[in-house]
Parts: sequence; C-alpha cells; structure tokens
Amino acid sequence: MQVRIPEERVEQVSRLSRIILREPFQTRCWAELGYFLASSVLAFAVVVALAVLGIAGLILTFALVGVLILAGGLRAARAFGRWQRALAWQALGDEVAEPEPPIAAPGFFRWLRATWSDGTAWRAVLYFAAKVPLTIFGVWFALSVWIEALLGLLSPFISNRGSTSFGLLGHLTAGNVDGGSPVGLAAHFGVFMTGILLLFIAPWPMRIVVSLDRRMMHLLLGPNSSATRVRSLQESRSRTIDTATETLQRIERNLHDGTQAQLVALAMRLGQAKEKLEDLGDDAGEAADLEVIRQLVDEAHRGAKEAITDLRDLARGIHPPALDTGLENAFTTLAARCAVPTEVQVSIQARPSPAIEAICYFCAAELLANVAQHAGASRASLSCAQHGPWLRVVVRDDGRGGAGINRVGSSSSGLAGLADRVNAVDGHLSIASPSAGPTVVTVDLPTSA
Amino acid sequence: MADADAIRVVIAEDSAILRDGLVQLLTDRGFAVIGAVEDAVGLVQSVASDLPDVAVVDIRMPPTFTDEGLRAAIELRREYPKVGILVFSQYVETRFASELLAGGAAGIGYLLKDRVADVADFAEALVRVASGGTALDPEVVTQLMGSSRRTDALAGLSGREREVLALMAEGRTNSAIATSLVVSEGAVEKHIANIFSKLHLPPTPTDHRRILAVLRYLEV
Repeated sequence: MQVRIPEERVEQVSRLSRIILREPFQTRCWAELGYFLASSVLAFAVVVALAVLGIAGLILTFALVGVLILAGGLRAARAFGRWQRALAWQALGDEVAEPEPPIAAPGFFRWLRATWSDGTAWRAVLYFAAKVPLTIFGVWFALSVWIEALLGLLSPFISNRGSTSFGLLGHLTAGNVDGGSPVGLAAHFGVFMTGILLLFIAPWPMRIVVSLDRRMMHLLLGPNSSATRVRSLQESRSRTIDTATETLQRIERNLHDGTQAQLVALAMRLGQAKEKLEDLGDDAGEAADLEVIRQLVDEAHRGAKEAITDLRDLARGIHPPALDTGLENAFTTLAARCAVPTEVQVSIQARPSPAIEAICYFCAAELLANVAQHAGASRASLSCAQHGPWLRVVVRDDGRGGAGINRVGSSSSGLAGLADRVNAVDGHLSIASPSAGPTVVTVDLPTSA
Repeated sequence: MADADAIRVVIAEDSAILRDGLVQLLTDRGFAVIGAVEDAVGLVQSVASDLPDVAVVDIRMPPTFTDEGLRAAIELRREYPKVGILVFSQYVETRFASELLAGGAAGIGYLLKDRVADVADFAEALVRVASGGTALDPEVVTQLMGSSRRTDALAGLSGREREVLALMAEGRTNSAIATSLVVSEGAVEKHIANIFSKLHLPPTPTDHRRILAVLRYLEV
C-alpha cells in the first residue's frame, strides 16, 4: 500500500524547498550579511566615539567645555543616525523616515538648550547603545553559521583546518569535528557537505537578526513619537489663533471707532444739509441758512476725506501694499516715513514666506513708530539679514533707552504684542535697552512659517 | 416735524466726532442738550443731577467697549423710570434688545447709528421716546422676530396684521403705518383691534396695549 500524501501538502513542501534552495543565490541574503557586517563596524565605531565624547564631556563638565563636548556628541549622534539610515537604505532598500530637523535657534545658549533637549539625538544614542548587545547576539546566533558554512565550503582548499567552530554551532558541533585526528578524506568530505548544508540554513538566523535591527531602527532613528511634536504644534497653533483673533478685534475696534463713526457723522451732516436744502425751497433765499448748509457740506467733505485716510491706514495695517515688491522696498518706505532719520540695510537671498514678510514688516513698523514716539532719538537704523533659515531684523536707535516688554502698563504694550506675534511662528524678540540708551531690538524669525 | 421744543437731552457717546455732531444736530432742531458725556459713569451722574427727558446712549463705551452703555441704561431705567432711553448703537444685538425691553417698552428706543442720517426720522424717534413711546429699529424688530422662541402666539395673525404689528414695534403711529402700507387710517385701526383681540389684550385706559402687543410680538 502506498501512503497517500495530499497534493497541496506536496505543493507546500516543494515550494518551501524551492525557497530554501534558492535563498543563498538571492542578492537579499548576501545584502543582509553585508549589512550586518557593515552596520556592526559602524556601530562599534560610533559607540567608541560616543563613549569617548561622553567620558571627556563628563570629566570636563566643571570647565564648561564638557557641556559643549556633550552637546557636540549629541549633534554627532544625530549624524551617525543619518549614516545608519543611509546604510540601511543602500544595503537593504529599507527607508527609515527622516526625523524632524533639530530646532534651529539663533544664539549660543538657545542652541545649547535645543541640542540638549533634542529627543532625536538621544534616541540615536539609545539605538547605538542597544546595537552593541544586538551585534554580539548576531555574531553568536547568525554570523557564526555563515562562517561555519563558508569555512566548510572552503575546507578542501585549507590544508590544516583547526577547530574553528564557535558560536551557536560551536556548542552543537563540539567534538563532532576534530581536525586533529586522522579522519582523512571522509571527514573532510563531511565538513564540506556540512558547509553546503549550512549555506542553506545560514540566511535565516541572519534574517531574524537583521529584522530585529530594522525594528529598532524604525523605532529609534525615525521621526520622533508624534506626541511631543503634536504638543508643540498645538501650543503654537493656539498662540496663532489668539494672535489672529486679537488682530481681528483690533481691526474691528479701529473700524468701529474710526471709520464707522466718521461715516455716521458724515451721513448726519449730509442729512442735515439735505433737510436745510429742502426747507430752503420752501421759504426761498435765507442767507443764514445757506451759510449753515455751506458749513455742513464743508464739514461733511472734510469728514469724507478723513474717513478715506483712516480707511487707507487701516487697509495698510491689514496688508501693507509696500510689501508687494519685497521687504527691501517696504523697509525703505517705512524708513522714509519715520520722523527719525533712519538708515536701512537689507540683505536677503530669497524672499521669505508672505506671513513672515508681513510679521517682519509689522515689527519694523511698530519698532520705528516706537523710536519716533518714545525714544527721543536723533538717528535710527533698520537692518534685515538672512542667516540660513533665519531672518534677523534689528532696529537700533540712539535714544534714551529704557524700553521693555510691559504687559501691564499701556506704554510698551505694543512690544508685548509684537513678541506674541513673533513667538507664534517660533521666532524670538529680544530687547537691549539700558536706561541711557541706545536701544537695540532684535527679532529673529524663521524664513518660512 | 416733531415738536422738539424744550425736550431736555443728555448724550452719552465716546466718539468725539459723533458726540459733537449729535449735539449740533439736536440743538439745531430745537432740542435742549443739557449734557454730553463720553462714558457710562458720566451718563449716570448727568441724569441724576439734571433729570433729562431722554438720554441718548451709545452701547459700547469705555473702559471695556462692550456693553457699558446698556448696563447704565438698565440702571437708569430702574432708578429713573420717567427718563426716556434711546440706545444708539453700531450693531443690533438681540440680547441687548431683550434685556432693554425686559422691563417694558415704554420710553425705550433702540436705533442703529446709521439712522441719524435721516435726521427727521431720528428726531421724531427721540421725541417719541422722550414722551414715553417706543422706537425700535426695523433691524431690531427683524432680529427679535427671528430669535423669537414661540411663534404660535402670532400664528393666528394674518399677513397684513403682522405687517401692522411690525410697524407698531418700530414705534410708528397709526397714520404713519397707514402711509407706509398705503391703506386708510381706519383700516389700520381695524387691524390693530384685531391684533389686540387675537393676542388677548383687553382694552385699558391708556394705549399701553400697543406696547404690550409689541412685547408679545417680540417675545421678550
């Protein structure tokens, strides 16, 4: 009697054996081996480098240089993470998403703080630290099989093969292969055959190790867990909404108290004049009435012109037309309008985003207005320069100084508003204004928001 | 032209340009402007010391520019019910109108500022409020109607009766309503009698019923 094997079973087994037989001839399996070797070397170098930086940093902490060295180490960890991702991409075609860029902050101390609190860098450090035990495990669990297989295959060409078995197979095959005893050709043949057998087994432990590594890489070298980013975005969004609402309220207030009141007064005068004109028709020719009408129309005319000016100012406050042709022109216009002689210097490579341009403009406008109103200055300067992804606007005057962000009083509330506006796009406003002057206000803004 | 003679007015308006314009306009039309102040505190003081016939009150005034004028108006209503109050605002807010009318519509006005452009209508409204009548801006009426919680009380009214009622709410006289709807004054009187009976408002010695009908209509 013949044992009947179900057809699908036969199919499964043959598919499986085909996969196993083909595997050593797939590029993927050699790529994984290559990746393991290369990434182990990289991890070793990185761990050594980070350890040296870390120890040096800790030893020198008292001299403050240590803090710098540690910060440098964190920045380096970021770079190492990038290399590791590039390696994974080159060797395995595995793309790990780019983590968010470090928070670029101008100024030394803010750079230091941003670097120290850079989660991405710390996670990269963690990755390489975890890579050490993983590599040791990989050598023992997977690389040993490969080495055994290759040694077995090469054994006919190696005259005196010592007991090279180590790792997992070292334990399993200990005593089986004893190169010292005269087992002759048969033993050599056995070793060779074992090599061939192991060649088909070796890809699989390696795959396990590499996929563990990939898991870890995605976890630690990819974008930050979204939570922190979400929180910071939420904060900046609520600030933005507040600022936008405040802006709208200000516009409404201006319209209500200014233009609308003017127009109502204007309509009132015209209404009066109209009635007087009608009365005039009834009892013809009263010179006194004519004079009153002339006066009413005159006032209405003046009111209309004032309303136009007010509206224009208001429109300019919403979006300055001067900005249409770029910051340089807008700043020149601002400086020309300023009561204090103002020198303008603008060096920008590319136009920043419209929102940033507008904030730049309003900052400059407000700061120059402050100079004219409060500083008692004889000269002022307005400069705007691009430093990489940052835009720095500096307004300087030789006035009496003493300016500051004052959220309670009304005198400097304009500065507080500016600071909020700047913060809303992750920018920064700082004031240096000693009591005898000069005052320097520096606004740093990202070029895009 | 309404008789403005000897009507004593206090104006509370924070915008100088409007305040001066109002003073000039009302003086020109024969009102006696006995006070022009720029905030609610000044208004209350002025009313207390001079007891005017009517106060023209801007809703938004310093210091917070929200509803100072309205708060002051409600306070004045409580303290000096004889003083007419014409609230004068850039916007119509249903809540303000409801609060203002909650204590009755006699001697109450609520007009959009734009209405001063029609000087005669404005002066007429002021006279009406000063003599215990009502002057509601058509805009106010529309909004109150729109926000009315219960319309079934008015469901029994015919279309024409509703029109008449809306005009009554604005504070128009029978003859003004007749002119506006191009019907005879007698027809208007008939409509009004129907409205009163449909709204279950029994006849009373004064024409208080008019105001009651309006209040019912506005659901305040």
